[in-house]
Amino acid sequence: MIIRKKYLFYVLAITSSFITAAVTGIDSFVGGQSAFKYDPWAFAFSLFFVGAIVTFLIALILSIKFKGKSVGAKILDPSFKQVRMVQKSEMKYHLVAGLMNAINTVGYCAIVSTVQDPSVILSFSQIVILYLLLMESITEKDVPTLVEVQSSIIVTFGAILASISLTGEFQWLPIIIVFLVVNPTWAVFSIYQRKLKIMRIHNKPNDSINIRLWNVVFSCIFTSVILFIFDIFTSGGHLIAAFTTSINLYYFLLLALTMGTTFFAYVLYIRSLGMGKASVNNALRASTIIFAIPFSIILLQLGVITDFSTDPVMLIIKVIGIVMIVMGIISFALTVVKAYIFVTVKTGRPLRETMQKLWNIRGVTHVTITTGKYDFVVKVSTRTLMKGYERIIKKLDEIDEVNKYRWASVLKDWEKI
Amino acid sequence: MISAYILITMQPGKSDKAIKEMRQIDNVAKISIIAGEYDIVVRAQVKNLEELLDVTDKLQMVEGVNKTTTQIIEKEISLQ
Repeated sequence: MIIRKKYLFYVLAITSSFITAAVTGIDSFVGGQSAFKYDPWAFAFSLFFVGAIVTFLIALILSIKFKGKSVGAKILDPSFKQVRMVQKSEMKYHLVAGLMNAINTVGYCAIVSTVQDPSVILSFSQIVILYLLLMESITEKDVPTLVEVQSSIIVTFGAILASISLTGEFQWLPIIIVFLVVNPTWAVFSIYQRKLKIMRIHNKPNDSINIRLWNVVFSCIFTSVILFIFDIFTSGGHLIAAFTTSINLYYFLLLALTMGTTFFAYVLYIRSLGMGKASVNNALRASTIIFAIPFSIILLQLGVITDFSTDPVMLIIKVIGIVMIVMGIISFALTVVKAYIFVTVKTGRPLRETMQKLWNIRGVTHVTITTGKYDFVVKVSTRTLMKGYERIIKKLDEIDEVNKYRWASVLKDWEKI
Repeated sequence: MISAYILITMQPGKSDKAIKEMRQIDNVAKISIIAGEYDIVVRAQVKNLEELLDVTDKLQMVEGVNKTTTQIIEKEISLQ
């Protein structure tokens, strides 16, 4: 199937948010079970332990070949072939992402265990988008533009308004954990997952299914280590309790349900990370808050949750927050300018060096050396045409090897999914 | 795997219908409508040159296509 390319990115990110909202609902049910309610540390380990087993089984099923292609390639990620071992080149990224995911989960659990109403504190985790903007301006090739910064701020504050609860107690320690542990680790995790997705393995694009599988495995290892150290210092028995609970059939099935669903949310998220910046992805992910509302109502009807504010002031604040999220996302979607640049170069100049010079220009997303009328076909992406001139055309003019070029703005595009 | 850009010039007013036909062609990975010297850029991904010939043949048979220019990709750096 071929669909509009800009839709593909948004479809992936928003579908991931929808599934994440469903997972949040399942999580609140599973987390409310007696074995986990008073031991969130055990909950963290059990999630990763059962998650690693379930993710491996799903990935194996997705590796089954059907009409020459794996099931996973047909339904989730066209780059996926089969379960494979981690390659040496991606190991350091997996280690960092796994460690960050583990610390993030432990930080989350620490908040859940100390605050009666975590939504008061966790709404501040939406500020992670601003962390990502800052980190991308340092590490990424494509520095965020003013429009991206503005849209991100709108989405961030919208998400805070939409998710904040006026019922719980405000405490400084959990807030510090959010700002110093949860947000930075999630930001680094997102950036490293993106780095993994845009890597090429055996000269082919990396696939999100293997990235997710190995992330869960490494997160499980790191969580075990953190919990083991924690148990030694506090003379606790969280790790053993978590392991015992995980192998209980009832809890195993519940955890398998939540982690099995999470798998699909993450695979789509990682795939969308390969198509757009982590900050934009996380801004889109804020739509989870909107999708969580119907799931909360279902859980309320089923009696799983009992506390659901119907205070008119709260509802107005939430509606304002939701409007801000939607406006911010639309603003992201409508402000991308893409173009092809067809380049011919002077003869007698090495093409590989020129290719690298073209690649170093900010906003360039593809550089291809081609046979035929043009020596290079370059694809660029920018937020405004003015930036396209300042960042791209001016830099292109500075490359001595370039003989002639033609700019062709993309008016509409489709891509096979 | 061989990838190629096929640059297409169209007769005026025929693009919409042509795009619908092009989306049905096997081995077409991306289609972009562009402004400038060319009207449409198609990215094809094929196993061999024989298959590339099939794609260009099919594209040339689409009503409204005036001319195609094929650029075979020798090396690529990409963010995705």
